[in-house]
Parts: sequence; C-alpha cells; structure tokens
Amino acid sequence: MNLKTARILAAAYHILMLYFVTWPGLLPFAKAEPLVFGLPFTMAWIAAWISGSVVCLILLDTVEKRYRTKDGADD
Amino acid sequence: MEQWVVVTIIIAAYLALTLTIGLMAGRGQSDSVTGYVAADRSFGLLVMYFVTGASVFSAFAFLGGPGWAYSRGAAAFYILAYGALGMAPFYWVGPRVAKLGRQHGFVTQAQLITGRFPSKNLSGLIALLSLIAFVPYVTLQMRGAGIVIEAVTDGNVPIWLGSAVAYGIVIAYVLSAGAMAVGWTNTFQGIFMVVIAWSLGLYLPNALYGGIGEMFTQIIAERPELLDPPGLTATGEPWSWGAYSTFILVSAIGLMMWPHLFMKAFTAKDDETMRRTVILFPTFQLFLIPVFLIGFSGVLFPGSPSSSDFILPFMILETDLPALVVGLFCAGALSASMSTGDALLHASASVVVEDGVQQFVDLSERAQRRLMQGIVLLTGAIAYVFAQDPDSSLVLLLASAYGVICQFAPTVIAALYWKRATTKGVIAGLIAGTITAFFFWQNPELKPHEMHEGILGLIVHIPTLVGISLVTSAQEAEHLEKFFD
Repeated sequence: MNLKTARILAAAYHILMLYFVTWPGLLPFAKAEPLVFGLPFTMAWIAAWISGSVVCLILLDTVEKRYRTKDGADD
Repeated sequence: MEQWVVVTIIIAAYLALTLTIGLMAGRGQSDSVTGYVAADRSFGLLVMYFVTGASVFSAFAFLGGPGWAYSRGAAAFYILAYGALGMAPFYWVGPRVAKLGRQHGFVTQAQLITGRFPSKNLSGLIALLSLIAFVPYVTLQMRGAGIVIEAVTDGNVPIWLGSAVAYGIVIAYVLSAGAMAVGWTNTFQGIFMVVIAWSLGLYLPNALYGGIGEMFTQIIAERPELLDPPGLTATGEPWSWGAYSTFILVSAIGLMMWPHLFMKAFTAKDDETMRRTVILFPTFQLFLIPVFLIGFSGVLFPGSPSSSDFILPFMILETDLPALVVGLFCAGALSASMSTGDALLHASASVVVEDGVQQFVDLSERAQRRLMQGIVLLTGAIAYVFAQDPDSSLVLLLASAYGVICQFAPTVIAALYWKRATTKGVIAGLIAGTITAFFFWQNPELKPHEMHEGILGLIVHIPTLVGISLVTSAQEAEHLEKFFD
C-alpha cells in the first residue's frame, strides 16, 4: 500500500474511533445488554475499538517501515 | 503471626527491592544533565513500554478507576476510551520531537517550544503551569500510597508514615539516578501491576458471583441505572453526555502533553523504539478492564467502604484472601502510585530548572543537577503536606490539572507544524486558554452542557493563537529552516 493512503486510513480510523466512543456516535451502542464476553455492551464496544487501534497501528508501521528502509529517511 | 505483620513484611521486602533496582540503575549513566533528564537517550523497547504505561497508570487508575466503576458505573468507561486516542498522534509527533531533540539538544518540552518561539517569559510560563499541574498529581499519588498501606495494615501504619516511607524511597532513587532509575523501577513495577490487576480482576468476579457475565447480569437486574451510559455522577444522578464526551476529549488531548510523558520522546533510543511503544500502548489500556472488574465486583457486595476510592483495599480485605495476596496487592497499588510519582517528581525538577531558573540565571551543569535534586525534595515536601489533608478532593484536582495541561497542545502543534505561528500568538493563546479554563473551574455552574473547562479553554485558546499570529509579523525564513526541512 502507498504510504500516504496508509497514513490517511490510520488517521481516519482514530477519527472514527473518537466519533464512536463519544456523543453522538456512541448513542446507538450505549447499552448494557447484550453482554459480550461477559462484559457490558458499551465496555466491550470501547475495548474492541482499542484492540482495533493496535491492529491499525501495526499495519501502518509495516507500510512505514518498508518506506523508511527504502530511502533511509527517518520520517 | 498476625495478618498485618505478614503484609507489612511483604511490603517492606517489595520496597527494598524497588530501592535496590532504582539505585543500581544509576550506575554507568553519565553525570551530565542529559544523563539525569534523558538517560543519555538510551531506553530500549521494553523499558520505554513500561515507563510510558507505568507513568500513565497511577494511583488514579488503580484506586480511582475501581472507585468510579463501583460508584459511577458506566462513567468509568471514559477512562478506558481516551488512552488509545491520546497516544496515537504520538506515532508521528514523537519521532519528529525526538529528531529535533537530537538536532538542537532539547531535553524538555518547553525547550522545544521556546526553540521555535524564543522567549524567556514563555519558557517561565510553561514551567510555572507544569508545576501547578504537577503538585496535585504528586499529592494524589502520595495519598494513594498512604491510604493503601493504612488500610491493609489495619491502621497500624498510618497515612503519614506510609506515604513518608514510600516516597522517601522514591525520592532516594530519583535523587541519585534520575531518568535511568525511573526507567528501570517502572519496568519492574509495570510488570508487577499488570500481573496483580489481571489475577484479582479475574478472581473476584469468579469467587463472588461465579463468573464475569454472571456478575454483570446480577448488576443489571438490581442496579440497571449503573450500567446505563454515560453512568452516574458522584451523587448518583445520571451523568451528562457533554461531560462524558469532553472528559474523553480533554484527557486524550492532555495525555501526551504531560511533561513527564512528553519527555519520553527525548529518552527513546531511536524512532523505531518510540513507534513500537505507541503501537503497543493501547494494550496497556486494556489493563483497565480487570481493574474495573474489581470495582464492579463491589457493587452487590454487602457493606461499603468509607469512600468509593477505597473499594479496592475494601474488597481485598473483606473477601478473606490470604495475607500473601493482600501483601502483593498492596505492593501492586504502591507500584502504581510510586511509578507515577517518581516520574512526576523527576519531570517537575527538570522543568523548573531547565525551563524556569536556567532561563534567567546561568548555572553550570553541576549546579543545575544539584538544583534539580533540591527541587525534587521541595516538590515532594509540598505534596507531602497536602497529602495529609483528609478532605482533599484529589480526583477533582487531577481533572482540573488536565484542564491546564491540555492547553499545551495547541502550542506544541503550532511549534511543530504551523510555520505562520508567532511567539506573541502562542503566548496570547496560552494565557487566554488558561484563564478561561481557570474561570470555568471556579464557576462550574456557567459551563455550557457541563463541558470540561479544559475544552472551553481550548475553544478560546485556538482562535486567539491563530488570530494574534496572523496579525503579528511572521518568523524569519532562516529561523524556520531549523525546524522544517
């Protein structure tokens, strides 16, 4: 993937995350049931976004690393 | 042997081990200011990861987190949400800051800002605001340490003694070894905290309710309002979405602006290490889940602690756990308090000397280091006095400290990314934002939609910064070249 696209996607993920864990994005998911892995729905919903953030940053780093080694620049 | 004696022995052993690691760490570090403040820029991934995680998760997360889950239910989820959001931008900002640090020899946040916006007064202002935000934060950690020790020793070791002993040790290794000691003790304490939190968080719901899902099913049946987002206020009324959302926003913006965290960018060995730390950081955030589970396990438990912040020690003591577990828990909570407290003390000294005093008086490297050690003692002593006040509402103070700290964000972003920003613009913005935040902190009834005062400060700060920058003359191209290439 192109470096610029990867950066835009990673930034987009975190902007979406901000929207979906605060008002008004959180409203449709702001409920205790159904329980997910035993946790209240909202808690699991936020935890899922956090886990997604790790995956998203790892993918971004893979792309960035390819570019860094290619031209030896550090950003 | 009585239980509290066993517990005290375990705690003493733990504290001795921390002190040894802290003192050992300083050996081999250079005697310079870069050595004391930035550990000669030598931290690898493991140390960086735990330094960052352990400095973020303080007595607030370990005692306040379960306290919120217990008394305010879903409101506590805000603490879960902001960490990942606050850390992610550092993937880009961090390496850029580190690069400028290496090029220009910066070791503090204010040096970076005043490198771009040369002004002694700006530097002094940042040092002052940092210190204002630091003192209540250190106070909270000390009180947390004292409370835990007092609770688990059945009051045989009172708060004044517990906090004095725990922080005497912290001050000893911060004084002797600086950043290197903070790094290694945090690694040790960070591992300790994670293990303790997960074990107890999984154990308590299972032991008391027969499982995590079972516990929440019972809470939903008996206290449905508790788990209905955005949870409750301290007095049990439903919390507002305005407050919930702006608490997330202000904490996410403020998180990396804390000087003790921002300075980590200067301690990393290389950019790769820093990026890895950012990537792995949200995994530390998930560590709040077991911590919340401990708090939730207290909801339907008969009896209640004197204050919700005591729910963790209360649960540990009421469920008849073996003395060994109680001792280990206490050490875990102490870790949380001490690993943030040491970073705070260390950073406050670095900031006051490097960015405050040094701007106005010329000191030798040796004198600077001596003065920093003096400030560590002084900050520790001030915080210690405040920590003895039984009525201090520290969680509230911490939330307000975030209102001040997040005002650094526009300044840092302008320094790094906006060429047209001027010194007058950033000073005006910083002052306007801080005054606004302070005003709404004093007059909470005037806050629109119960928004956090830090966000209201930013709403005034950013247009002021942009407006004043645009009407004052731009910085010279030659100066800007040093920052943008």
